[in-house]
Amino acid sequence: MTNPVLELRQATKKYAGVPAIDSVDFTLMPGEIHALVGENGAGKSTLTKVMAGVVTLTSGQMLIEGKEVNPRTPTEARHLGVAMVFQENSLVPTMTVAQNLFLGQEQFFNRLRGIYIAAQQFLQSLNFDVAPTATVSLLGAAKKQMVEIARAVLHNVKIIIFDEPTASLTPEEKKYFFDLMLELKKRGVSIVFISHALEEALQIADRITILRDGKHVITDWKQNFDRARIVRAMVGRDLSQTLYGRRKTKVRPAGRRVLSIQNLRMANMVKNNSLSVFAGQVTGIFGLVGAGRTETFKVVAGVIKRDFFHGGEVLLHDRPTRYLVPAPAIRDGVVYVTEDRKVEGFFETMSIAQNLYMGLLAKLGKKRSFLSKSEADGLADKWVKALNIRATGKDVKVVELSGGNQQKVVIAKSLVQEPELIIFDEPTRGVDVGAIAEIHQLINKLADEGKAVVVISSYLPEVMAISDRILVSRQGKVVEEFSALEATEEKIMYAAVH
Amino acid sequence: MIAALREFTDRALGRGEAAITVPPFDGALKPNQLLEEAAVVAELDAPEDLATDGRSLFVSDGSRLLRLDGSQLHEAERLDRIITALACRSDGGFAIALEGKEVRIRGGKDDGKRWQEAAGQPFCAINALAVTPNGKLIATDGSARHSYNEWSHDLMSLGCTGRLLEIDPVSGARSVIADGLGYAFGACSAGDEIWVCESWRHRLVRYGGSGSGSVLDRLPGYPSRIAPAADGGFWLSVFAARTQLVEFVLRETAYRKRMMAEVEPQYWIAPTLSSGRTFLEPMQGAHIKTMGILKPWAPPRSYGLVIRLSSEGLPRYSLHSRVDGKNHGVVAAVECGGSLFVLAKGSRRLLRLPIADIERSLLP
Repeated sequence: MTNPVLELRQATKKYAGVPAIDSVDFTLMPGEIHALVGENGAGKSTLTKVMAGVVTLTSGQMLIEGKEVNPRTPTEARHLGVAMVFQENSLVPTMTVAQNLFLGQEQFFNRLRGIYIAAQQFLQSLNFDVAPTATVSLLGAAKKQMVEIARAVLHNVKIIIFDEPTASLTPEEKKYFFDLMLELKKRGVSIVFISHALEEALQIADRITILRDGKHVITDWKQNFDRARIVRAMVGRDLSQTLYGRRKTKVRPAGRRVLSIQNLRMANMVKNNSLSVFAGQVTGIFGLVGAGRTETFKVVAGVIKRDFFHGGEVLLHDRPTRYLVPAPAIRDGVVYVTEDRKVEGFFETMSIAQNLYMGLLAKLGKKRSFLSKSEADGLADKWVKALNIRATGKDVKVVELSGGNQQKVVIAKSLVQEPELIIFDEPTRGVDVGAIAEIHQLINKLADEGKAVVVISSYLPEVMAISDRILVSRQGKVVEEFSALEATEEKIMYAAVH
Repeated sequence: MIAALREFTDRALGRGEAAITVPPFDGALKPNQLLEEAAVVAELDAPEDLATDGRSLFVSDGSRLLRLDGSQLHEAERLDRIITALACRSDGGFAIALEGKEVRIRGGKDDGKRWQEAAGQPFCAINALAVTPNGKLIATDGSARHSYNEWSHDLMSLGCTGRLLEIDPVSGARSVIADGLGYAFGACSAGDEIWVCESWRHRLVRYGGSGSGSVLDRLPGYPSRIAPAADGGFWLSVFAARTQLVEFVLRETAYRKRMMAEVEPQYWIAPTLSSGRTFLEPMQGAHIKTMGILKPWAPPRSYGLVIRLSSEGLPRYSLHSRVDGKNHGVVAAVECGGSLFVLAKGSRRLLRLPIADIERSLLP
């Protein structure tokens, strides 16, 4: 029996004490294409980053060709024969293909013609149709990826890791890319690739490994899988003892249509997306990475802009809107509670009261010529109590609060604006269990009050527990709608990946 | 000047009126297959409209007026021309529109009365009739330029000559409640108001009471006749779904004119009551196949849809026959004896769905 080229034994990686991968066993055989599949947060990226030396293991072992290794940088991993091709490629856009290939191997005197000839020969040997003299910035996504791969092969790597390699490729480019993978396989290169498209995994991989919540679920040969089995393995968790254990038995009826998105387009992230949001309901949005959920609602809230030409329509109460910045959206009653609270959510060195007052000022704009400390204090007293923000006082800096209380501040900062449409993007990410329950209660209360509430979440049990209707997004648009009563994890995940 | 500039920039950038967008079928309009699974009561030759007196269901089929007894249809009347609209009056008579050009009373105390014009303008495409609580008739005249059967010509020429009419059968007085409508197709009384469907503007509009205004706007299809539901609210039939392709063609004047001049109407890029009969039909241009998997949907050329509205005009739920179905081109839906009867003109079928079953399967 052939020995594995790469092996991970009981691999565990913890971030701030929280395991991203937990006791994972993984083997990669020579000349094998191995697909890594799982939901968002399943640990796929962390596992591959460990292999590529981007992060190091907290505990466990990594072996390459039977020898224990511990690469601490991508360069070290590359010396060991492991290279990773990221979604955002690492090429220098203003340099030519040949210059990028030989970057870092320059000599004191370089003959450009020699580099071009060597690159041409090398690319031809790989059967890659890329001109060595072409400037990288002018290449398409697939060709850029080819150059990345060629660079990895040039460094004689034995293992190439692809993170979502097909996300930005057209169907034709995808086919070409798969041919490349097969070509590399023939040369004895082992490949690990992460994909959210099950068809791709079933089409190209030799073996498939499924991760869930940081744990290894199953590894098996492709022919032993079908879509249903993969989906079951991706979502089959036991929730009976958790916050999400109880199934929804009643949903709120839809009120008036508050938001209608019609054929929205935004670069290659949102593709002809259409959906509606109704008053008095929680509309859950589920999707995997690259599904365009956040981008869609950032367009609605004026955080980012839709396409300049034929970008579609966003109608708020049947009135077309086109917010170029968030301020007019806030004035019209639309708020977006960000998924990245530390960067976009609050001013960390300012106090709770100041942060909440900033929320009010964003709504009032020029109507508040003078700042009022008493108004800020009154506001803080009201919302600290309403949202049960646990702090020694309203003058505490937000940076000193726990994740859950920081999130409550971000939510309160939006709610002081008295919105009609509230968009929560990953509202409970990085939040403790107690705070999750409180945030869910708050979301339910807002819907009961007749507000239109959108909850974007990558955590399926959360979407199912909190939503009245669930929209599933895939590759830039909503592809399926479920009532909370009919939805199951399998159905939702099937729609998200199929 | 500013409006002209705005129109120019909108056209260039695909914004405002020039945005080629279609509302989604979601929320209460989430697709199902209930119309496709409905029991077929009868297959007819040329069905046009349904009406009920509360006890029996009446169907117009060409020039015949049929009554449903149990599960059998029997001829109740035969007229000299095609019946394009039908309404039951409280005195046992009928109001009937013939070829869209005449409204006639049959039976009851006003038997034999007939009208061919209102406000000096002849009827052209009377396509729906309803009776108000005070016994007057409401009629919708779809277009002043195109006959009843040429509704797609009216859409493709961006017609807005529809009228909402009121006829007093006793005095014979006729009045125009509203004109300039983008194909008026279906009306009914709602309290002290009259609600009328404007098909080409994809909306339901109210007149009377506290003025006029939109009841339901931006529908994803072309609404047609509307009928009251027994426990309050309404049944709104939608005879075709909107698509981006048709919306695009509607904005391309030169293309549209040439298409109308050179192509047979049944092959126009336009909504239709049924499709899939010939390969000459225009393609609808969707990503039907992805990664080798045939998707169960595509933008439809024809569609079947009935929407249940609340008494405020909010959609509660809907019944569909999707792109791969047959019961398309729904032009009438009427409630009678605990069942919903639906006329799918595309498949020329009369369908029946028990309302208790519908609500059990669709309401939480």
